[in-house]
Amino acid sequence: MSALRVLVLGAQQFVGRRLCATLRATDWASCLGDEPAFDERNATALSDALGACDAIVNAVQGSPAQISSAAQSLYELAGPLAARPRIVHLSSMTVYGSAVGDVDENSALRADLGDYSTAQLAAERRAAAYPNCVVLRPGCEYGPECPDWSVRIARLLIARRLGDLGAAGDGYCNLIYLDDLLGSILSALRRPEIAGQAFNLAMPQPPTWNEYFALFAKALGAVPLRRIEQRRLQLETKVLAPPLRIAEIVARGLRLPGRTPAVLSPSLRRTCEHEIRLDSSKARRLLGMQSMTLETGLARAAQSFTAGG
Amino acid sequence: MMHIANELPENSILTADICIVGAGAAGIVIALQLIDAGLEVILLESGQIGPSDQAQALYAGEVTDEHLHSPPHRYRQRRFGGTTTIWGGRCMPFDAIDFAARDYVADSGWPFTLQELLPFYPQANQLCEAGQFAYTVESAFDHPLRPMIDHFECRNFTTNTLERFSCPTDFGARYGKKLRSARNVRVLLDATVTALHLNESGQRVVAASVQSLGGRRFSVQAGQFILATGGLEVARLLLASSDVQRSGLGNAHDVVGRYYMCHIAGTIGAIRIERPLHAVWHGYDISDEGVYCRRRLALRPEVQRAQGIGNFIARLHHPRITDPAHRNAVLSLLFLSRPLIPYEYAKRLHGDERSSLRAWAKHIGNVVTGPFDAMAFAWHMLKDRRLAERKFPSIIIKSKANLYSIDYHAEQQPNPNSRVTLTQHRDPMGVPRINVDWRYTRGDVDTVTRSLALLREEFKQGGAGTLHYDPATVEFEMTRYGAYGGHHIGTARMGTDPRSSVTDADCRVHGIDNLYVAGSATFPTSSQANPTLTIVALALRLAARLKQASARGAGFGTVPT
Repeated sequence: MSALRVLVLGAQQFVGRRLCATLRATDWASCLGDEPAFDERNATALSDALGACDAIVNAVQGSPAQISSAAQSLYELAGPLAARPRIVHLSSMTVYGSAVGDVDENSALRADLGDYSTAQLAAERRAAAYPNCVVLRPGCEYGPECPDWSVRIARLLIARRLGDLGAAGDGYCNLIYLDDLLGSILSALRRPEIAGQAFNLAMPQPPTWNEYFALFAKALGAVPLRRIEQRRLQLETKVLAPPLRIAEIVARGLRLPGRTPAVLSPSLRRTCEHEIRLDSSKARRLLGMQSMTLETGLARAAQSFTAGG
Repeated sequence: MMHIANELPENSILTADICIVGAGAAGIVIALQLIDAGLEVILLESGQIGPSDQAQALYAGEVTDEHLHSPPHRYRQRRFGGTTTIWGGRCMPFDAIDFAARDYVADSGWPFTLQELLPFYPQANQLCEAGQFAYTVESAFDHPLRPMIDHFECRNFTTNTLERFSCPTDFGARYGKKLRSARNVRVLLDATVTALHLNESGQRVVAASVQSLGGRRFSVQAGQFILATGGLEVARLLLASSDVQRSGLGNAHDVVGRYYMCHIAGTIGAIRIERPLHAVWHGYDISDEGVYCRRRLALRPEVQRAQGIGNFIARLHHPRITDPAHRNAVLSLLFLSRPLIPYEYAKRLHGDERSSLRAWAKHIGNVVTGPFDAMAFAWHMLKDRRLAERKFPSIIIKSKANLYSIDYHAEQQPNPNSRVTLTQHRDPMGVPRINVDWRYTRGDVDTVTRSLALLREEFKQGGAGTLHYDPATVEFEMTRYGAYGGHHIGTARMGTDPRSSVTDADCRVHGIDNLYVAGSATFPTSSQANPTLTIVALALRLAARLKQASARGAGFGTVPT
């Protein structure tokens, strides 16, 4: 039996890169899209790649414009394909917007958290119009080297710029361990019967953000945990975050060595307050999604971070 | 949802499945647990979000002996969050012995054991923001701590138990947003309950009369009522609600308001620890969650039994602030800062005693001779207490001479003659004011006297130093500042016998199907422990029972007609 040729869009980004490695490690799939010469923003190149694959994973991350542009190109070119290859579309829990409480896949899609959530929802709608698509809505992916929800958090915890946030950290931390996310993507590629469906991906009974920070700080040895005062949070998100973000962009653009300080962004603060809990029982049932225990996941993330410096 | 009662139409009738009276630690915790529980909840708070002199004045009352008890409007707050807006944050669970019926402590014994509360303490700890439920050095820390006193072995006291400190968490500020956004909870501010009304048979509360400071009157009808107004106001409201039961609700046997307890606390003696300076540590250790923890000398339960005395703990403490002979710049600075320190804290720091001009001069001299110590302390208090959300809990002075005093906190034993009663005077809403007749017993004096004697013996035997105090002054010292402020316990005590208790083991008022009491009023005995953590644990237990009853149905939430 020939291997399933999977085109990964966003293969130069973190999740896409890991997905390619995972696909290659299987005995049933191969990965396309991570060749240095391949530019998925080039319509001709993308069209050619679509014609040469059996399935696609849209794992493009980034700004709202990048998400929109990637979805537009993909679905415009994939729509006319006669073979109707399976597309696994990686969306985000932000499509639920400001909803609170337990949220399953039938909950209203508000996407009222700004441009990012709007772009994710618009991309999902394009995906929904494609007949052989599966939409995955992961929470916050964590694990070794996960940039947003492990590395950034670790840096902030170690710098004692993040800690016990009080009421500002009462939101639910809808974590999904990276391997569980990748496993769900692989599963979604191989199950024809789930076409047209969406799945929430998160661990069951997630901790609050305060609990997550306390456990991760302990795993990192960044204890005692610091109580972060409200005025300190205001200072971080309103005064320090904009220049740090600019410095980060400039440093990346100029390929400067070293790292700029991590950003405690207003969106991170909003997320930590948000009392939304993803119900991912459907993914466990139909995708066979696994859930790494938080203790083990955090230990691995901390070990990786510590080893990486 | 949150509303101001004065904005309601006159003579409105509000209905709910559960009406909670009082938005302090207990009331707020119960309301939090009932969010999305399928029940309509009304939470009535007499005060506003912030302090209000007018609301606070409703607490005013009388005390039989002003030397023994603070005025009733002190040490408690009539506002959203209740007294958690000013509490000190000390948390520890009750000990197993506190629940036992002890033949040497009259009227002791809870209707259940510590096991009954253990499932609720961990969440109580979280709600108090006091970290994990771990109250020994071994369970709270995964690394060794420096000993309180190096090479000091105690036979009669343990040295490994902890008290943990809340931020201290203002429950109103911390959890108000959750309650405001809850769809099934209505919080009404400026809503003072003036009476609870029974049906004709006297077995159910049918309504609460409520009034705002602006004079707006309305009533609340609910399936269940929970009084969570604190140890003094619970007794007041039960006694004042006398339209059907003339002696007051749950008071057929004249128990409401009796057995009123606080704690017996004081500072005494002088001890020079015969160890190097670095071998003594009486300050705080910080747990991994960032929680301040402090060890104490806790009288072992078997010793309590053998001695026939109540529960008792002690800590190493700084010398008496008011006496400038300590020659400590920081303590003198605290003395000189007394006008800036809130009454509730200043009283035990300074007492009410007047100091001579000479003493003032000596205090100034102490500060002048130790300006750097005083400045360092002032900076520490600004940074770690005033500006911090997790506040450094108390004043810790490391003695350069290894000189300390003993600060103790002891159980007060139940005494039916220590009581809260109604007076002839009424507040502006027509509710009778209270009189507090707090009394201690010989047993309370014995608890402190014998415990101190044991402690003195421990220091002597262990070669740690000599504790000097005059045993003849123990009673004077333990009442120097009167009853320990803010711990109002026992006025609607739990029990199985209505002749000696007000509520049953579920905190339901005997003989009234739908009236519950939440808070320290229900504690049959006082322990050595500060009450808030146990108040919260009991509130969680009550909320769990209410939810279980609701799940069973049987008209639980039905508003009476």
